[in-house]
Amino acid sequence: MRNVAIIGCGQTKHSARRRDVNLAEMVGDAVWNALEDAQVTPQEVDAFTVGNMQGFGGVAQPEQWLGDWIGAAGKPVLRVATGGSTGGCVAQAAFYAVASGLYDIAVATAWEKHSDSKEPGATTGLSHVALGNTINMINCGLSFKHLLSMTLVGAAAGVACYQAMYYMYRSGSRVEHLDMVAAKDRRNAAKNKYAHLQWPGCTPEDIAKTEWVAYPFRYGHICPASDGASAMVLACEDIARKRCKKPVWIKGLAAYSDEENQIMSEGAGGIGILDASQQIGATMSAIKAYRMAGIRDPQKEIDVAEIYQPFPNQELIFAERLGLFDEGTAWRALEKGETDINGRMPCDPSGGVNATNAIGSSALQRILECALQIMGKAEEHQVPKEVHNAVATGWGGATNYIAVTVLGDSPY
Amino acid sequence: MPYIKEERKETISVEGDWDIGGSTTWKDSTLLQGYAQGLKEKRIIGSLCPGCGKVIVPPRNICGRCHRKMDEKVVVSDIGTVTCFVISAPFAKGKMQVLGMDPVETGLVGEGERVISVYVKLDGADSNIDTELIGAKPEEVYVGMRVKAVWAKERQGKLSDLEAVEPLRD
Repeated sequence: MRNVAIIGCGQTKHSARRRDVNLAEMVGDAVWNALEDAQVTPQEVDAFTVGNMQGFGGVAQPEQWLGDWIGAAGKPVLRVATGGSTGGCVAQAAFYAVASGLYDIAVATAWEKHSDSKEPGATTGLSHVALGNTINMINCGLSFKHLLSMTLVGAAAGVACYQAMYYMYRSGSRVEHLDMVAAKDRRNAAKNKYAHLQWPGCTPEDIAKTEWVAYPFRYGHICPASDGASAMVLACEDIARKRCKKPVWIKGLAAYSDEENQIMSEGAGGIGILDASQQIGATMSAIKAYRMAGIRDPQKEIDVAEIYQPFPNQELIFAERLGLFDEGTAWRALEKGETDINGRMPCDPSGGVNATNAIGSSALQRILECALQIMGKAEEHQVPKEVHNAVATGWGGATNYIAVTVLGDSPY
Repeated sequence: MPYIKEERKETISVEGDWDIGGSTTWKDSTLLQGYAQGLKEKRIIGSLCPGCGKVIVPPRNICGRCHRKMDEKVVVSDIGTVTCFVISAPFAKGKMQVLGMDPVETGLVGEGERVISVYVKLDGADSNIDTELIGAKPEEVYVGMRVKAVWAKERQGKLSDLEAVEPLRD
């Protein structure tokens, strides 16, 4: 297997409605920015991996539309779609393409254009995600009241609601800690020119003033639905060393899944996972990725983490799953400011998914932001310390599909 | 490549409907049917894994961990423990719609009511069922709370036969 490095990164500005570009132009912008950053011409790219959430934005097969716009005509294109972890898996697919020796330069790009759906958010996509089982349950006489109670904690926010409650119960943390994470992420996002929800000087008290969505979540805890795209250029070792001053090496990676989602399981049956905050897939991915990267003690060897956290509890849960803090203690580290941009273990200095969520793109952005931190190109949100190793996650589904990627400034 | 955006300042929206229909074919939908039929007799059915011994409610075909066939069906208790809960924001008229209906207007929930959704691990089961908790105020619910099933008066072999759970008082 060959060593693979990221040699260029590109993103677009994220906002609720990018009416200034259509989907193909938006993805084209991100790819072009990445190629420009890497100083690679479109002709030099051997293969593309692309992806977004299935059916989101109301377009079923967007890759057929945007092929020309990213310079993929006449080249191998692979589309990957694994829910929220899509971007992470898109990047990992590009890694496989180069590491295998099949291609020398690959571009990974991921995006979401929520506003193209008639209703804001992800209605079109979500209805096809959950429709089958819901119909099955309605056929078996599901009451409207029960459907209502499922809907009010529906979709990803609902899954995360339970996840947050399990975590809070298990670790002894409180809603105030969710306020603290959300405030930190919005403050960080204010330093990231590509981010969506930017709120300079946001305090936990500001978040605590927002309306309840469903206890324990307030409006201020929830990620936005963003339009935006991101892209990376990956290259084999020879090319990376020749073409890039500071290539970022993909040292370890894994994407494990666990049992099915509570509502999505076959025939709407139950699942054997009692605690939705367990996230065994994340633990398994982290162990595998660290082993591949040669990282023995993540608490000492990881310098910065970009965690997929559309909901603030997930930053705490996944930080523990990644071994960055001891079990049930991430919230104490948060209280001490250890996860701040200038803390001991900065988590999501970019503001993360909590501030910018173009779903398909979100997990790729985590890897991209880690790369920027290692390259020293994160500008205003650069962490004020040397970054040798960083870790990125992606989360898709309720308890399954977690992509973990470990990056470093040297391939070994 | 010349951008369309150089010709137009904004993208245009074209209205259109797409009826995705309501038909989905399941390999085995008789499992949930069987579960619903059991509810008619106040029996809550789960499937037992011959590998790990876990009992999953509602039943499923294959164990998610050991991938063994879960052919044996067992009846679990209608009493259980709350393992997690989520409380809705107060409902208000015109605030939200479910399947095109306003839950307050249709009388399903009262103005200002807060619905408590719970995960309950029934005695004898190794999985949660998701249902609603009634007969308790939002501030009264806690993890570990003992609850029992509330059955519909006239049961028809539907999922709605198991209406909700309520606190177990002795």
